[in-house]
Parts: sequence; C-alpha cells; structure tokens
Amino acid sequence: MLLVVASGSAVAAPRPKIVEVSGTIQGSEARVRFTLQNAFTPEMVEALKSGIEISFRITVEVDRVYRAWFDQTVGSVRHTSSVRYDVLSKVYRLHRSDGNELLPDIHAALDRMTRFEIAVPVNGAVDRGKPYHARVRARLDKAGLSETLRSIIFFSSLWDVETDWARGFLHSP
Amino acid sequence: MTGERGAGSPRHEAESAKRRRERWAIGAVAFLVAGLTLLEAYLAAVGGSVAFSSNIVIFALINLNVILVVLLIFLVTRNVFKILLDRRRKILGAKIRSRLVLIFICFSLIPTILLFIAATNITTTSIKSWIGGRVGQALSGALEIARKQLETEAAAMSPLAEEAADRLASAPAAKDPADALRFDRSPTREDAVLLLVRRGAIAARDGTIPPAVENEILFRLKGIAGDGAGKGHSTLIGEEYAASWRPAGEGDRVVAVKPIPPAESARIRDIARAYDEYHQVRLLDDPIRASYVGILILITLLIVFAASWMGIYLARQITVPVQMLAEGTEKVAGGNLDVSLDYTSDDEFGTLVASFNRMTADLKAMKRNLEEANVSLSGTYEELRRRTQFIETILDNISTGVVVIDRHGRVSMINKVAGRLLGIPTDRALGELYRDVVREEHYEAIRGLYREAGETGGGQVERQVELVLGGKKVALRVSLTALRDDAGEYLGLVAAFDDLSQAMRLQRVLAWREVARRIAHDIRNPLTPIQLSAERMRRKYAAAHEGDPVFEECTQAILSEVTTLKLLVDEFTRFARMPAPVFSEGDLAGEARQLVETYRDAHPGIRWEFVAGEMPPVWFDPHQIRRAITNLLENATAALSAGGRVEVACSFERDSGLARVTVSDDGPGISAEDRDRIFEPYFSRREGGTGLGLAIVSAIASDHGGVVRMRDNRPRGAVFELEFPVRPQGKE
Repeated sequence: MLLVVASGSAVAAPRPKIVEVSGTIQGSEARVRFTLQNAFTPEMVEALKSGIEISFRITVEVDRVYRAWFDQTVGSVRHTSSVRYDVLSKVYRLHRSDGNELLPDIHAALDRMTRFEIAVPVNGAVDRGKPYHARVRARLDKAGLSETLRSIIFFSSLWDVETDWARGFLHSP
Repeated sequence: MTGERGAGSPRHEAESAKRRRERWAIGAVAFLVAGLTLLEAYLAAVGGSVAFSSNIVIFALINLNVILVVLLIFLVTRNVFKILLDRRRKILGAKIRSRLVLIFICFSLIPTILLFIAATNITTTSIKSWIGGRVGQALSGALEIARKQLETEAAAMSPLAEEAADRLASAPAAKDPADALRFDRSPTREDAVLLLVRRGAIAARDGTIPPAVENEILFRLKGIAGDGAGKGHSTLIGEEYAASWRPAGEGDRVVAVKPIPPAESARIRDIARAYDEYHQVRLLDDPIRASYVGILILITLLIVFAASWMGIYLARQITVPVQMLAEGTEKVAGGNLDVSLDYTSDDEFGTLVASFNRMTADLKAMKRNLEEANVSLSGTYEELRRRTQFIETILDNISTGVVVIDRHGRVSMINKVAGRLLGIPTDRALGELYRDVVREEHYEAIRGLYREAGETGGGQVERQVELVLGGKKVALRVSLTALRDDAGEYLGLVAAFDDLSQAMRLQRVLAWREVARRIAHDIRNPLTPIQLSAERMRRKYAAAHEGDPVFEECTQAILSEVTTLKLLVDEFTRFARMPAPVFSEGDLAGEARQLVETYRDAHPGIRWEFVAGEMPPVWFDPHQIRRAITNLLENATAALSAGGRVEVACSFERDSGLARVTVSDDGPGISAEDRDRIFEPYFSRREGGTGLGLAIVSAIASDHGGVVRMRDNRPRGAVFELEFPVRPQGKE
C-alpha cells in the first residue's frame, strides 16, 4: 500500500494556478474571465490523447469589497469543464456547463480548457462603480479512466491538480 | 493457572486479561484493515466523479490503514520477541512455543512469498504482453477498419444528400420542406434518414433515428463553420451512424444518415473502448504495475501477519496448557499438592488438565488419608513401643531368663537374665540362629527338651537341668513352650530359665540350720555335766594324782574340749537362730569404711584400699551387714597371711537399683572344685575354721533379698560380691 501511495505521488505534480482574473459586473450577473495555467502536464496531455477524459471543477465567487468591513459574497457558481478525445471521430469533445464544443485538435482543446469566461449570477443589485472582485479556484475533478483501470489503480491519484484561490477586480460600469 | 499461580492467582488473572486484550486488539486491527481496505476500494470505484486524490477521507483511510498495518506488525513482532525472550529465560513451554511459531511462520511465509513472486511476475508479464506492439497494432487496425467502413457508409450517403439538397434548392420556399425530402430512392438507400437542419435545429426529417444520434449530428454540425462540404468535411461518422451532408442554401443543411445496426454499433464501440483502454494502459504502465504490486504486498503482509498471529495463537493454545501442566507437575513433584490448574476447554488439553486436577485432588486426598493413617499408626506404634518397652522392662527385671525363638530358629527376644544364665551376649544374639548363639552342650540340652516338647503333644515341657557356666554348675529350671497362632500355625518357641542355685542353696542352708540346731541342742546338754564332772574330778582327785601328768592332762583336755565344744555349739546356735534383719536407712559405704579402717589397724602387713562411688541411702540391717562384711574381710585376711592387698569397693547400679560391696584380694584364690561348696555350712579348708562364715554371709545376703557371689580376681586372688537392693520390698 505504501508503494502504491508512493507511486501515485511519484507522478510529477504540476503547479497550476489561476491568472488574469478580470471581468465586468453589471445588472444581475458578473462575467469573470481568467486563465488556468500549468493545469496540463505532459503526462496529462498524453493521457488526454489516449482517451482519458479530464475534468476541471471551477469555483467562482464574486464578492462586494468593503474597505472597513468584511467582504460580502454576492454570487458564486461552480463550473465544470471536461474534455475527451473521440478516437473514432478524431475530435475532442469539450463539455462545459455553458455548452459543448467539438474541437479538431489538441491545441484547440487545451486552449478552450484553460481559458474561461464564466457568468456568475449576482444576488441583489450591483452598485455601480463600487469595488467587486472575483475569487477563482480550480481543481482536477476527474481523470476518467476506464472501469477496468479504475478498479486496478484505485489507490493511485495519478495527478493532483488544485489551484489556490486567485483574485481579480471586476469592472462595474 | 495453578492453585497458587493458577486459577485464583492475581498474576495469572492479569496475564489472561492481557492475552485477551491482545487477541482483541489483533482481531480488531485485522478487521479494521480489511474493512477500511474494502471501503477504500468501494470509494475508489464509485468515486469516479470526485478527485479522490485530494479527498481527505481517502487520505485518512489510507493513513489509518497504514497505521493499523504497522500496529499489526508491531503486535506480531512483539509477540515473536517475547517468545524469544522467554526461550532465553528458559521459561517452561517457551521452546515448543517458539518452534511452533517458527513452523507456522515458515509454512505461511514460504508459499506466500512464492505466490507473491509468481503473481508479480505474472502481472508484469501480462501487462507487458498487453501493451506489446501486436496488441496495439491489432487494435489500431481494427479501429481503422471500423472507421473506413463507417466512412464508406457515409460516402455512400453523399449522393442521397446531394440529391435532397438539389430538390430543396429547386423547390418553392412556401412548400413544406419535408416534401422535398420525400422522393424515391434507390433500394440500397431505403433505410437512410434525411434530415433538414435549419438554424441548428431539425426542420424536417424523412425517417427516424434515435434522438441521441440526432443531437450528436446537430452538435457536430455546429462545430463546422460555413460550407464545410467543399473542404472534405461533408461526412460524419459515429458509433451508431454514418452520415453525409450538403448545404441547402440560406444556411440550411441536408443530412443523409445511415443508422448502423445495433450489433455492428456495439462491435465498433467495443473496438473504440479497447483502443482507449489500450492507450491508457500504455500510458499508466507504471502506476498499474505499482498498484498490482502494492495490492499483492498488502495481501502478502496480511497473510503473513495473520498466519504469524494465528501461529502464535495456536502455539499459545497448545503451549499454555503444556506450560501449566509442566509447572503444576513440578510443584507436585516438590510436594505441593494444592495445585489446581485453571484451564477449561473441550479439547484434549482440557481433558488432560482436568485429569491432572483430578490426579492432584486424589493425591491430596490420599496424602491426607496417609497422614491420618500415619498418625494412627504412630499412636499404635507408640502404644506398641510402650508395651514392648514395658514387657522388656519386666523381662529384664524378673529373675527368670526368657528367650523367644521364631519359626526359623532365630532369636527374636532375649532378656538379660537369660543372657547371663546362658552366657550369651544379648545384643549380638538378636536375629541370629539360636544354635549359633548358644553353646554346643546347651544347644543339645535345649534341642532335647524341644524334641521332648514336640513329643508331649501339648507343646510344653518343663525340666530341671544342670549346666556348666564359667566352670560352675548351675541348676536351672527350663520351661519350653511352643507358640502357635489361632490357626495352629507354628510361630516359634519361648524358653524360660529359672536359676535354682540360690533356692537350692537356701534350702541347704535351712537344712544345715536345722542340723545345727539339733546338734547344738543334743551337744549342749551333756557338755555342762561333762565339764562339771571334770572339774569335780580335778578338785577331788587332784591331791591323789599329784604328780601324775596323765590325770592332769586328761582332765585339762576334757575341760578344754568342752570349752571348744561350747564355742562350737554357741556358733551353731547363732547360725541356726539368725534373727530376721531389722532394716533401717543408713550409709552402707560408711559402715564398710569403718570396718576397713579397723582391719587396717589390726593388720598393718596388708595393704587396704577402699573405694566408694556415689551411693544413695541404703536400707539394710547394720549389724548383719557388718557381720557379713567382717566375715569377708576375715577370709581375705586369712588368705593373705603372708601379706598382700585387699580392696573394698562400694557401688550402686542405678538401672537395677542394687547396692554392691566388693571385697577383692590377691591371695591364692579359690580352687575350682571348692567353688560350689564354699557357701555351704561347715565347709572350710582353713585350719580351725567352722565353715560357717560364708554360709552366714550367704544367709544375710539372702535375708536382704540379695546374693553373694564369688569369682576369680585377675591376675590372682578372689573377689566376693555382696549385692542386695537399695530398697527392699515394702520400702518403696
């Protein structure tokens, strides 16, 4: 068992992070844009090419920022984004909370899996010109092994991808 | 364990509780390991939608599992070390326990390790063969064939799609587009489905296909921007369909779909899945192998430690009762029968321990019975010893000699008197054959009597015999009695000897006294007339026979002899009329010392010595005893006319309660032929002796309940012993 755990941890873990968090907030929603960096290690890319479905779960929270008081979360959403290579059709099938896409190659798939623009419903009215920021965190949700392999390497984590919370101010016109 | 260390002993209780805790701990650990492992497997299986690698529950379970396995290893290792320590301390049962544990561990280790190696090799080989080139090529080829087939099917749909697109382009806009899709097709395309896609949705259809296929086609068409048909993107294939599409103006698209039969679709799906898995396996070669090895290691460890613990448990099951039995046996061997082993089981060991406990209980009961019997026997033995001692005391203090001879002719009892009478050392005679003990002439005499006793039929005979002991004839009355038990079985012989010499001597003395009295009576009467007549003759005829020496000599002789006869008669009278002794308590040694002093003054030519030991007050008649001692001293003085040495000794024999006065001289002694007669009256070898001195001593000794004896003095001379009880009968 120790060897299994060790072998799991022996797989090189990337240091993913969320960058370029920005966006606008107006009306009843905020649109948050950000980029997921270093989420795909070479092993994950190879795994993706091998038909392993990879899913990320993105958590986005929008806070109203107060200078002399605690920030207040006005909206949050959990967004799921997964990609799988269809070996028969030779396309990458991208499934997201806001829609599905077919992508012709790995580059397009990786680009679409690391660039996000997510709509977050906001509770109440948005104060124009007031400071809001978005907090974003992403983590690997699933490495979709086949049933057979999942029963074999149930102790192995394969990859451990989880980012810290990243923050970025939203424009509130 | 045992009565002390057993059931009730605190040490055993604590040890048992500890063992129970260990068993529970090991069982709980093994159970938890198995349960948690299964839980992890379950979570891993159902947790496909969660990132279980970052799930704290999984981590906690894994770590807990590791801790539990480590704990299991610790417990087993601790037990093994404890066994080794017990073996080094040479604790009973440690050897067999260590052997059993070693055997169990070997029996579990060897096949498990072999199985582990084989399984690892098989797994590695299987994975290698699975990800080998041939499998990959075959899968790739199969997938390519499936794709080609689907593309062929899709290409076959292309004319149909093109014809439908042309029809729609030529049809009036107001006409139902579905009508444009309905036209006669060639027989080979009758199963095809025509779809009209307008603004991303199905506007019209001819035929039916599963909704999932429709959605799939719509989804894929969305990803194709513009007129993709001209760029070779007019075909779509999937696991369940093969399609070809054409633009139909104003953004509309006509799709001709060929549904793939379900069986064929399933085969294609399987090929695609196998291809995916193959690539996944290739990619995850090391983790898969590590997982297999890890699982095998876990199983191996669990088997090894479970087997080891089972070995320890079984060994303990076997050795604990053995150890208890060994310790119990050691205690029993040490004399402790209060051992009771506290071990209950329905197996053979339980039976053995129960038998042991029963045995110790029986032994204890037997010991208690033996102790009670021993106490009883001790009492009986003490009673018998007292009785025997009493009988021996009686036999030693009676004047009769008693000898008991068993059926084998061995002397089983002999008292002192018998030993003295027969001249046998009593301490060496016991257990010896009587014929080897007694003298030849005595043996013949006893045998004759024994034979006579047998002939009488009554088994008893009594005779008076004369034996020669120490050169002196002794008259004995011998009584032989054959001993028989209630069944008439011959047990042996009892011989009783009575010394008749003293009695005979007394009889003779009495006879002589009677003779002396008659002689004195008969002689005394004529002596006075004879004396008076002789004196008258001398007075009357003295003048007439003056100068005649004969007359003077004769009358003088008559008077002289009459005087002598009167003295003799007086002596006879005293002998015949010896008064009864008047006993008083006095100092016997003092009386003897005074007499010795008197004789020392009167006979300075003789060396006189007096020895006296510690003497109690003695009951005796001083006049008679002084007379007896005087007679003995007189005899010694007479024997030492030429000088010599006389020793007078007074002693007391505590055991027999006898006082003894011994007069020894170194004179000529008594000849052998005179020894039997010296105590008889009127026997004297001394000139002028009356022969009454020793007879009177003998009579005085007899009157005092004692005896007077004579023996040779060494190297020369004679010894006279006057012996009588310190306290006569009636003076207790």
